Amino acid sequence: MAEIRIVTDSTAFLPQEKLDEYKIKVVPLYVNFSDEIIIDGSIENKVFFAKIRQSSKLPFTSQPSPGDFVKAYESIIKNGDEVISIHISSGMSGTVESAASAKKMLASDSISVVDSCSTSAGLAMLVTAAAKAIKEGKSRDEITTMLEKLKKKIKIYFVPATLEYLKKGGRIGGAQALLGTILQIKPVLMVKNGKVDVFDKVRTMKKALKRIVDELPEKTEGIQEVAILQAEAEETVVTLKNLIEERLPGIRSVIFDLSPVIGTHAGPGVVGLAFLQE
Amino acid sequence: MSEKRENIFTLQGEDLRHMILEACDYFEQHKESINDLNVFPVPDGDTGTNMSLTLKAAAGELLSVSSRSIGEVAGIAARSSLMGARGNSGVIFSQLFRGIARGLAGKDEANLYEVGRAFQYGIVYAYNAVSRPIEGTILTVAREIARGSREAIQSSLNFIGLFQIALESGKRALDRTPELLPALKEAGVVDAGGLGLIVFLEGCLQSLLKNASHELETIELTQGSSLKEPERRTPGDGGIFRDEAAANLTEEFDERYPYCTELLIKGKGLSVKKIRSELGKLGESLLVAGEKEIVKVHIHTADPGRILQICLQRGSIHDIKIDNMNDQFIKTRWGSRSGEKNLKGAENTERTSGVAVPLLADQIGIVAISSGDGLTDIFTGMGAHKIIAGGQSMNPSVEDIVEAIQSLPSEMIIVLPNNNNIRLAAEQAVKLVEKEVVVVDTRSLPQGLAALLAFDPAVSLSQNHVEMYQRARQVKTGEVTFAVRDARINNIQVKKDNIIGLSDGELLAQGKTVNGTTADLIKAMFTGEEEILSLFYGREITSSQADQLVGKIETEYPSLEVELHYGGQPLYYYLFSLE
Repeated sequence: MAEIRIVTDSTAFLPQEKLDEYKIKVVPLYVNFSDEIIIDGSIENKVFFAKIRQSSKLPFTSQPSPGDFVKAYESIIKNGDEVISIHISSGMSGTVESAASAKKMLASDSISVVDSCSTSAGLAMLVTAAAKAIKEGKSRDEITTMLEKLKKKIKIYFVPATLEYLKKGGRIGGAQALLGTILQIKPVLMVKNGKVDVFDKVRTMKKALKRIVDELPEKTEGIQEVAILQAEAEETVVTLKNLIEERLPGIRSVIFDLSPVIGTHAGPGVVGLAFLQE
Repeated sequence: MSEKRENIFTLQGEDLRHMILEACDYFEQHKESINDLNVFPVPDGDTGTNMSLTLKAAAGELLSVSSRSIGEVAGIAARSSLMGARGNSGVIFSQLFRGIARGLAGKDEANLYEVGRAFQYGIVYAYNAVSRPIEGTILTVAREIARGSREAIQSSLNFIGLFQIALESGKRALDRTPELLPALKEAGVVDAGGLGLIVFLEGCLQSLLKNASHELETIELTQGSSLKEPERRTPGDGGIFRDEAAANLTEEFDERYPYCTELLIKGKGLSVKKIRSELGKLGESLLVAGEKEIVKVHIHTADPGRILQICLQRGSIHDIKIDNMNDQFIKTRWGSRSGEKNLKGAENTERTSGVAVPLLADQIGIVAISSGDGLTDIFTGMGAHKIIAGGQSMNPSVEDIVEAIQSLPSEMIIVLPNNNNIRLAAEQAVKLVEKEVVVVDTRSLPQGLAALLAFDPAVSLSQNHVEMYQRARQVKTGEVTFAVRDARINNIQVKKDNIIGLSDGELLAQGKTVNGTTADLIKAMFTGEEEILSLFYGREITSSQADQLVGKIETEYPSLEVELHYGGQPLYYYLFSLE
C-alpha cells in the first residue's frame, strides 16, 4: 500500500529522533559565507554563531534549488509513495517556489506542496501534526486541508537583540519603519500572514518579554505547549521561562533552537515564543 | 474717532472695534506683570503673552475693517481670536469672544441689556471649552464679571457704569481665587488668567472713557492695586490645569459621583437659580450658567439619567456629554467622535511610520508639537509626520495647529500637544477642520515620545488614541529648568534663578547646580523598578556636562540603563523619562 511521506526543510530544525520516527525527509537551505557554503543544520549552532561573530561580512542564505527537491521527491515517488512537502513561509524564503518548480518538473500528481506561512517551531508543529495524521491513516487531501486550518492558529512572537541582522538580511518586512529611530527601541515582532511584522515597540528587554508572554492564552486549556525560540540567548530564556510559568503554571515549555539560517536573519540573542492558539 | 459722547447708552460696531484695539494696547503694556505670576515659576507657557497674542490676532483683523455693525465686529473678533488663540487661557479668552459674538449676532448696535446678555453667552462658551471646569480660575472671574453686568443692567446705568460694576465684581472674584484653588493659596497668588481678563476689561473701559472725554486717571487700575502687594501674585494657566496634570490617571473625584454630565438647555424663561437648586442635591461640582434662553449645566453625579430628565422638563437639551470619570481615558470627547472605523489599509503590512515612507490619505498622520532641533529629529525618526515648533518656548496658536493638520494628506490625524498648556488649543483646532482628528493628552515631550512608540498604523484611530494615552501615562517624566521668581510650591520655598526639578508637574528638587538638581530629581523619582532613563539635554548644556551627569547616575544606579540624547530644547536644561 502506498505510504505518505513528509518532506520539510532545515528551518523546521527537528531533532534526528523525530525525523527517524516519522521518516521525514529534510531538504536543507544554505548559509553562504564569503569563503564557504554551509548546509543548514550540518554544524552545531555554537560553532555556527561563533563563525558569524568572527565573519566580517554577514553571510547570506539561500533556498534549496528545484533540483534538490527533485532528488528528494524522486526517491519517494519512485516507490509509488506520496509526498506532503511543508516549508518555510513564501513570505520569508523562496523555498516553497523551488518545491513547486520541482513538482512541476516531475509532472507528478502525488506531491502536495504546503506553504506553512511560518518557520522554525511553527513549521515543526505543522510537520509533527501531519506526521501524526499519517499514522492515523488520513489521506493526503485530508491532511493538507487540516494543515491549512492549523497554520492559521500558529502564533510566533519574537524579540531580536538588534534589528541589524534582519535589516542586512533584507527580511525585515514591516519592521522597516523602525530603522530611522534614534532612541533605543526593543521591537517586538511577529509572524503575520507569513511575514515578519511589528507587533509592538517597547524600550527594554524586560518589557518586551512581558509583552510577548501576555499574548499567551490566559488558561492552559487553550494550549498544549509553548516553544521558546532562541539563538545564543540562554540567560534571557531563563527569564522568559519564569514569566511563562507565572502566567500558565504547569504549562509544558520546550526550548527550541533556531536553525542557523533563521538565526542568521534574527541574529544571536533573539528569543521568542511559538504556540498554537485554539 | 467718533465724536465724544457724555453718556453711552448704545454700543456701535465702531465702539466695540475701538474698545478691542485699545484693550489690546493696554494689555500689551501689562502682560509682563501677568507673566511673572505663574504658580509654577517656570519660564514657559506664559499666560500674559498667550492672552496678548490671542488679543493681537483679533486686533490685527479689526485694524483694517471699519463701518461695520456690532454683530460683524464681534464676529470678526471671535473668529480671528480663535485662530490666533495660544495656551489654555488664550483659548478660553477666545471662547468668551465667541459667546459674545453669538449674543450680538445680527445686531447693528447693542443696548445695555443686549451687551449684558452677550456676556452671559460668553460664559456659557467659555465653560464649554473646558471639559472639567475648575473654580478659582479665569472661568470664575468671567462668571462674576457676567454677574456684575447683570446687576449693572438692573441699576440702569450707562456702559461706563456697566463696565465699572462688572470690573468690581470680577476683581472681587479674582481676590477670592486663592480660597477656591489650594495651589494658588499655597503659592500666595491670584489667578493669572483671571487677572488677564480684568486687565482686558480695564482696557475696554479706558476706551469708553476716552470716548466719553473722561480722564484716564479716573480708573483705579488693578495693576496698581493688586500687584503692589507682594503676596498677591497670580498663577498662570496653571490655575486651571496644573492640578489636572499632577493628578495623572487618578484624577481626583468623588467616587460616589462618577458621571461627569454636561449639557445645554435651550428654552424660554429659564431660571438659572431654579435649575441650580433642583440639581444641587444630585451631585457635586455643579455649575449652572447662562440666561433665559440658554443654560449650561455641568455636574458630577451618580445618576445622569435623572439630570437629563430634570433638564428636559425645562427645555430642549443639546450637546449632551456624559463621561464616566473612572475610565476617562477611554471615552474622551474626541475619542468617541473618532468612531470605530478601521483603517482601510489595515491589511497592508508595510508600515508607514518611517520618515522615508510617504503618507497616504487613508493612513493616520501624526502632528507633534516639539521644541529643540534634537527632539524634533527624534520625533521625526519615530514617525511623526509634521512637527510644529514651539512647545515650551512659545505655545503655538490654534491656527498653527490647524495648518499642520491640513498640510498632511491624511484624513485621520493624531495630535500630540506634548505640553499641558497646548491641549485646549489643539482641541479647538480639531473643531475647525473637516478631518477626523484626535488629541492624545500628552503633557511633556518624553510623554509624547512614549505615546508615539505605541502608535500602530494598522489599528483604528480611536484604538490608537487609547493605547497612546495609556502608554504616555506609564512613563514618569522629569524636567529641569530655573525659577523665574520666588515662589512657594508643594511646601518648598523656591528662590528666583534657582535650578528646579519637576516631575509630571510636581516640584521635587531645587538647587544651585543643574547636574546636582537633576540628580536630586532622579533620586526623588526612582523607586528601584525603573529600567531605563532617557535623558535629553538642552541647548544650554554641553555634551561633556551631560556625560558627567550620566557617569554619576550610572555609578549611583547600576541597574538603570541610561540613554543620552541631544534634545536642543531651550529653557529646559534636561528633560527625561524614567520607565
